[in-house]
Amino acid sequence: MESSEDDGEEPLSRIAEWRDVTPLPQDDGPNPVVPIAYKEKFRETILQKKKKEFRKTMNYFRTIYKADERSPRSLRLTRRVIHLNPGNYTVWHFRRFLLEALNSDLDDELDFVQRIANSNSKNYQLWHHRRWVVERLGTNARAKELHLIKSILSLDAKNYYARSHRQWVLQAVGGWEDELDYCRQLLEEYIFNNSAWNQRYFVETRSPFLGGLTAMRASEVRYSVEAILSIPNNECPWRYLLGLYKDDIESLVNNREVSSECLKVINTKNEYILALKMLLDLLCYGFQPCQEFGDAVVAPWTSDAHPLDPDLATTICDILEHVDSLRASYWIWRKNKLPVC
Amino acid sequence: MATRDPLDFDVGVEEDEDGAPSPSSPLSYFERDRHVAFFGMLYDLMPYHYQSQEINRLTLAFFTISGLHLLKALDRVDKDRVASWVLSFRAHPINQAELKNGQFYGFHGSRMSQFPPDENGVSVCNAGHLASTYCALAILKTVGFNILTIDKESILISMRNLQQPDGSFMPVHLGAETDLRFVYCAAAICFMLEDWSGMDREKTKDYILNCQSYDGGFGLMPGLESHGGGTYCAVASLRLMGYIEDDLLSKNATSSIINVPLLLDWCMQRQAIDGGFQGRANKSSDTCYAFWVGAVLRILGGYKFIDKIALRGFLLTCQSEFGGFSKYPRELPDLYHSYYGCTAFSLLEEPGLNPLCAELGMTDLAALGIL
Repeated sequence: MESSEDDGEEPLSRIAEWRDVTPLPQDDGPNPVVPIAYKEKFRETILQKKKKEFRKTMNYFRTIYKADERSPRSLRLTRRVIHLNPGNYTVWHFRRFLLEALNSDLDDELDFVQRIANSNSKNYQLWHHRRWVVERLGTNARAKELHLIKSILSLDAKNYYARSHRQWVLQAVGGWEDELDYCRQLLEEYIFNNSAWNQRYFVETRSPFLGGLTAMRASEVRYSVEAILSIPNNECPWRYLLGLYKDDIESLVNNREVSSECLKVINTKNEYILALKMLLDLLCYGFQPCQEFGDAVVAPWTSDAHPLDPDLATTICDILEHVDSLRASYWIWRKNKLPVC
Repeated sequence: MATRDPLDFDVGVEEDEDGAPSPSSPLSYFERDRHVAFFGMLYDLMPYHYQSQEINRLTLAFFTISGLHLLKALDRVDKDRVASWVLSFRAHPINQAELKNGQFYGFHGSRMSQFPPDENGVSVCNAGHLASTYCALAILKTVGFNILTIDKESILISMRNLQQPDGSFMPVHLGAETDLRFVYCAAAICFMLEDWSGMDREKTKDYILNCQSYDGGFGLMPGLESHGGGTYCAVASLRLMGYIEDDLLSKNATSSIINVPLLLDWCMQRQAIDGGFQGRANKSSDTCYAFWVGAVLRILGGYKFIDKIALRGFLLTCQSEFGGFSKYPRELPDLYHSYYGCTAFSLLEEPGLNPLCAELGMTDLAALGIL
């Protein structure tokens, strides 16, 4: 186990075990471009001392890296360097080398990485390193991993790195059983969380414990519809609903539940832009609307000043051009392409 | 102030250790001279805040030099000096046999991972990196160096060592995450070197297609949430590889290897009510997505659909009185968002800027008559 005695505060030049090492300075060469103003001169404040120590520490690392020294002190040094500079992939790589060479305790390694993650959760190298460790620990690490990611997501529900890692863990070592429920909790907390909607889709399509998308479709449609009715201007459940019919548009068009939900939202005359969009897509896919749809769409707009096109899809594009004016040019283009999507 | 690889999307802004004052109200027009001063200052000397980015030094150089070029201020740069400096980061194999040893003989990102050759002239601890190589080639082209004269064969042969069975790319042989960012780097490298022997194109294409999400956008890996940066990497790569035509939407193509209508709709929905672009649904608008998503629309032929006035308005709230751009309105600028703020203004055809090559994310040298 690594010694916790090296807390990174004492300069390496003053630590006995490093006396035999000559730090290898970085040679920027002649005429370096974008030189970085490492603070090495001037009267030293605590902050300036730390920055000076950064460069010196890196020089020690370069020495042991070039010499390929696989020793406990090298391992301790990588810990110090990672604290200072968690973005340096060379250090992480060397640390993996050392962990193997020294047959280090990988459970402790997970704890170390977690401490780094507490202040650096958006760091690719950290997550890659964690995957390397978990691969070696196997299913024993599963619960700990999923728990860690949950705690990071509780602070930042859309952390892309954490979500990517979670998907990897599920596929590599399992833990699918509670995942759908976890997605449900996240969406209860915040229905606008697109990451959670995506994760839900991921589970539906890839979990070995569910029947696949087609088998789950009916219940997922109901789930999406509930979300839509509660907040109709939330993009996520609309896209999710469409996604449930990926590669099976005909079933979408024939599902009366979807079209009738569009109608419900349009009839509220409130937050109906996304419902109009969905209805437009359905029409492009071949949906044959009854008169009720036409009446609902035009109701807020009918007047002599705004004559509407008899074709419902064209009318919807005209309306969207006005109510979704940020995308007016797009709706005009869509109208000109009709009946194609 | 912190920045990352050109393709490190969705990063949070680190707080300045000494605290940061808020800038005052937005300037009402694109302040070219202030941006030239900003990039010029960083070209000469980067603040110590960037020291954690040493490993990506070439990337920092790319942003500053390409930024100055976009602003038509490349006269500030000593082109020969820059070319020499960039070329000095090249990893060199001793012989042909080394090209199959698993390492990548591209460019290092920094002296930090590059060591002086040993007594036999061999460079040890090679860590050529795909993103650094992309940046290196882009910088060399920018300063007028003919990159077709370098030993491209060793780059391309050894690049194959980085391609994974599923078609994705690892950025460095040491072991790292594999995702669309490095697929893009590999594609851009092959494109710039005018030689596709560096990859199995079919496998690469298949990996990209597996990243298209149910909502039309692309995640950085298969199964991941649609993301502006991932979508750019996917679409730009397919375009560079020739799998999709330029200006698809005008050609009334009835089929394409990607779901174009869904992709277009997803991109269009990324413009938020404040005029800016978000990277994912229901997230805040961020300067850089005006490029990542805007460039996708440009490639597809749909850029004309966005509300340019609204976008311009948002970007101006992210423009700093110190020069450069911030991630969010009225924050301090950083190099990454400054660069992509300028590319976004180039897409908007702001006078005084060079035209942009959307697929490469830099000045369109062909449009300037420079090949």
